[in-house]
Amino acid sequence: MRLPKSNNQLILLLAVFVIASCGLIYELVAGTLASYVLGDSVTQFSTIIGVYLFSMGIGSFLSKYLERHLLSWFIKIELLVGLIGGFSAVILFYVFPLAASFRIILYALVCITGILVGLEIPLLMRILQGKVAFKELVSRVFTFDYIGALLASLIFPLVFVPQLGLIKTALFFGMMNTLVGLYLSLRFRPELKNHRALTAASVSIILIQLIAFVYADRIMEQAETNGFADNIVYAKSTPYQRIVVTSNKRETRLFLNGNLQFSSADEYRYHEALVHPALSSVSNRSNVLILGGGDGMAAREILKYPDVTSITLVDLDPAMTRLFSTQERFSQLNDHSLQNKKLTVLNADAFTWLRKSEQNFDVVVIDFPDPSNYSIGKLYSNTFYTTLFNRLKAGGIAVIQSTSPYVAPNSFWCVDTTLRSSGFITKPYHNLVPSFGDWGYILAMKDSTKQWFSQLPPHLRFANRQSIEQMFYFPPDMHPTKKLTINKLNNQSLVTYFEDEWSHYLDS
Amino acid sequence: MKRRNFIELCMAGSAALLADTGCKQPAPSFKGGITGAAAQTGHLLRDLKTFPVPQTYETIHTVIAGAGISGLSAGRWLYKYGKEDFTILELEDHAGGNAANGKNEVSAYPLGAHYIPIPNNHLTEYLDFLQESNVLQYQNGEQLPFYNEEYLCADPQERLFINGTWQEGLVPVKGITKEEQPQFQKFFALMEHYRYLKDAEERYIFDIPVDRSSTDAAYTRLDTITMDSWLREQGLTAPALRWYVNYCTRDDFGCNAASVSAWVGIHYFASRKGKGTNATHSDVITWPQGNGYLVEQLKKDIDKKIRVNSLVLSVFQKDKKIAIHYLDVKSKQVKGLLAEKCILATPVFITGKLLKDQQAFNAYKEKFIYTPWVVANLKLRQPSVSSWPGMCWDNVIYNSNSLGYVDATHQLVDQLTPYKNITYYLPLTDTDATTARMAAYKTSYDSWCRQVLDDLKTAHPKIEDDLEEINITVWGHAMPKPLPGHIFGAFRKVLHQPVNDQLFFAHTDYAGISIFEEGFYQGIEAAQKIIHAS
Repeated sequence: MRLPKSNNQLILLLAVFVIASCGLIYELVAGTLASYVLGDSVTQFSTIIGVYLFSMGIGSFLSKYLERHLLSWFIKIELLVGLIGGFSAVILFYVFPLAASFRIILYALVCITGILVGLEIPLLMRILQGKVAFKELVSRVFTFDYIGALLASLIFPLVFVPQLGLIKTALFFGMMNTLVGLYLSLRFRPELKNHRALTAASVSIILIQLIAFVYADRIMEQAETNGFADNIVYAKSTPYQRIVVTSNKRETRLFLNGNLQFSSADEYRYHEALVHPALSSVSNRSNVLILGGGDGMAAREILKYPDVTSITLVDLDPAMTRLFSTQERFSQLNDHSLQNKKLTVLNADAFTWLRKSEQNFDVVVIDFPDPSNYSIGKLYSNTFYTTLFNRLKAGGIAVIQSTSPYVAPNSFWCVDTTLRSSGFITKPYHNLVPSFGDWGYILAMKDSTKQWFSQLPPHLRFANRQSIEQMFYFPPDMHPTKKLTINKLNNQSLVTYFEDEWSHYLDS
Repeated sequence: MKRRNFIELCMAGSAALLADTGCKQPAPSFKGGITGAAAQTGHLLRDLKTFPVPQTYETIHTVIAGAGISGLSAGRWLYKYGKEDFTILELEDHAGGNAANGKNEVSAYPLGAHYIPIPNNHLTEYLDFLQESNVLQYQNGEQLPFYNEEYLCADPQERLFINGTWQEGLVPVKGITKEEQPQFQKFFALMEHYRYLKDAEERYIFDIPVDRSSTDAAYTRLDTITMDSWLREQGLTAPALRWYVNYCTRDDFGCNAASVSAWVGIHYFASRKGKGTNATHSDVITWPQGNGYLVEQLKKDIDKKIRVNSLVLSVFQKDKKIAIHYLDVKSKQVKGLLAEKCILATPVFITGKLLKDQQAFNAYKEKFIYTPWVVANLKLRQPSVSSWPGMCWDNVIYNSNSLGYVDATHQLVDQLTPYKNITYYLPLTDTDATTARMAAYKTSYDSWCRQVLDDLKTAHPKIEDDLEEINITVWGHAMPKPLPGHIFGAFRKVLHQPVNDQLFFAHTDYAGISIFEEGFYQGIEAAQKIIHAS
């Protein structure tokens, strides 16, 4: 190999600088993603830094086996780091739903990038060996290496993550890596036998990364990443909805189509209020039906009654029930209720399922999304409630989440009016769930003889006899403001009330 | 290079890259074909002059030719009154006629007629049938029927694409001038007046079936002028109102306001007086499969009596009986039936061909000008709630040649399905019917798709992104145009006369207008004559 000229030396040293920044960025991307997704950032960062440094050691060790064509090897490694590191965030986001394999893939990626980055410095030092005094060489290479690291560690949290997000940050630095490879293969053309191949390879990698860069923008949906205050730890579009889970130090939040479904910080207030007034008041509760509630939280509360022998949970979206039964991070929120032997999960449409079902239930807990569109509005119609009436046993009871009686009193009382038109006796109530606001529920039954709230399970955080009893009083600002129409399939009056009231509330 | 510039450059580079691939004309990303109406089999009757004569005759008491609404209704009535020795011959491989439906993995969808209005309350037999069909019931001794709310058209029902946006309802509101507005009010007030108007003999001026309407000359006069002339007489000249009325007459009768009888045009608006405890005359009843639901109900007890793929070739008197020759399309054999009675539940243009010795049918041939219709069923992906916002049951584009489209999945109670089926209707009323029909038979699948999509793109520019399949149905002879004279001219009655108490005629062609009730009563009337005779 010919001697590089002195300005060539400078170029190689600048390469060290870029490489060092990129290497550290990949490590930071992996650490950040791992703590987003798996939580416990101290553990995640610590193990990832450890594995990364150790892998660099392996890379340094392996460098001695590379004997010839050192510059060519250096460029190849550069391109590989660019490719793997650049796509690391894309890969990790993509494999997250695969649950168990996530950690394996995470550490494999950290290992591979570590080894490749570890190869770089020793190779470079050997390339420059003999051209510069050894003490100069060591001093210069490591100076640039550490400066690069400092720069990366500063711009990563301050500039790149807030501006570009993780996927694009990783891709950006991947392109930087590849550009170094491209530049070197063009610059040292005469010294490289295979410079054509190297140039072609680097150009194609840059193009792929460019496309991914633009595409990443589309799939992550700018609005979504900007719209959520916290880190997104899970995002998936199913045929039915977009599921997004965000997380911060204090709480985990679930959003369906951008609407908050629960916050782990106060969901107990919602789910205890939804489940216990009904369950604690009936003498027989062996067969319980949950419609909606794929997050398993309502099931968790129902399982606190030992005499419940079977729970049927009907939720439309298999992706939801799978997420909350197989992912430890989420199933710990519902005390693994979806894996309980008493529970049967059915992924079906609630309306058609209920109509075809020949089973009758002691208790039905209905936890549908708010009636924000015509499709969901059908699940609050008199036709649906008549079907429900026929599936409820004589002494049984149903409870229906019915949006906020403070924000949308007409919507709330429209559900009550509709239930009563279908033959139910109703008992509406509400409580405060800080993440949602003041929230409403309606008890619906065929007869009003109940042992009200007489059999509450122990150790509830919110619901006791007093707190339940005070939920049944509605102050004047939660009363309906006009005469309400029964919600029917052919008038969808509830959706109209709901849109009117919520848009008014959100505008102000 | 600054980071921002670099990113901009990257974006530009990738955009150029994507744009380049976009420039290539992509192959159509949807599938489908021309389906429905077995025109080819039907045309055997027109093109082939001689068929072999059957060797033997099967004896059956009553033969019904045609399994459209009239034929099925006749069969149902015979069965109901214990006259079970009958058979129904049908050219297609399914019953239903204009009310037939298709089906895919998403839902059933209509191929033609797709809804019924709330029935008038004095139509006892019809209300009974709808009660049998779970469409209505009488609750707690109420006089008025309670309609099954799953079948009442769900909300939101109708919208109109006008001046670049969608508005609720089909009556134009957006961009209507102050001069036009009072004309709409006047028009609807007139229709409301006509709705409950009766003559000296207490007969409604506009009733269903049409032949129960008043024959008072003051109103039959309306059958001598066109709808357009009547509108002009009333000073109703606002373009938006003219569009609306023309839309309605094309929708129900496949006939422009410029040529449809004014009596028929007004009948569309004024004949509906139905009432239920939970519905009024302006409500409609519909199903994903359209009136295919009612076809199923009509034939549920008599399905085994229907011989599909049976092309009737000729009907004539033989040894004091009626001989029917038909081609079994599957086995390609001509078969013979000998019947005491025969109901020809076929359109007039077919009936004339079957009865070679019936002069009257030839004499009045030109009175029956059949409008061809094209119906397109589109299967659309619906990846998110927002992809088809605000879709109603009926979606109409102002000033389009088509009647817009209905959402076949609208009545489903299921939560959002990943797909939608929409049914697009186009009556070919631009040129004269024969020219339009010949052109329609020659038009290729690709060309139909282009026409349909070009029209829909007015309101949905990106429709092709979501499109998976288009199936085209061409109805060569969908319905005869009710031109002036059609209702009170004598020819309908002449043709409708039974022959020798053996041969009866039942079809909406004899009723004057092509609506479900007319077909239903045509069948009952013919069946009653047979039941009473025996």
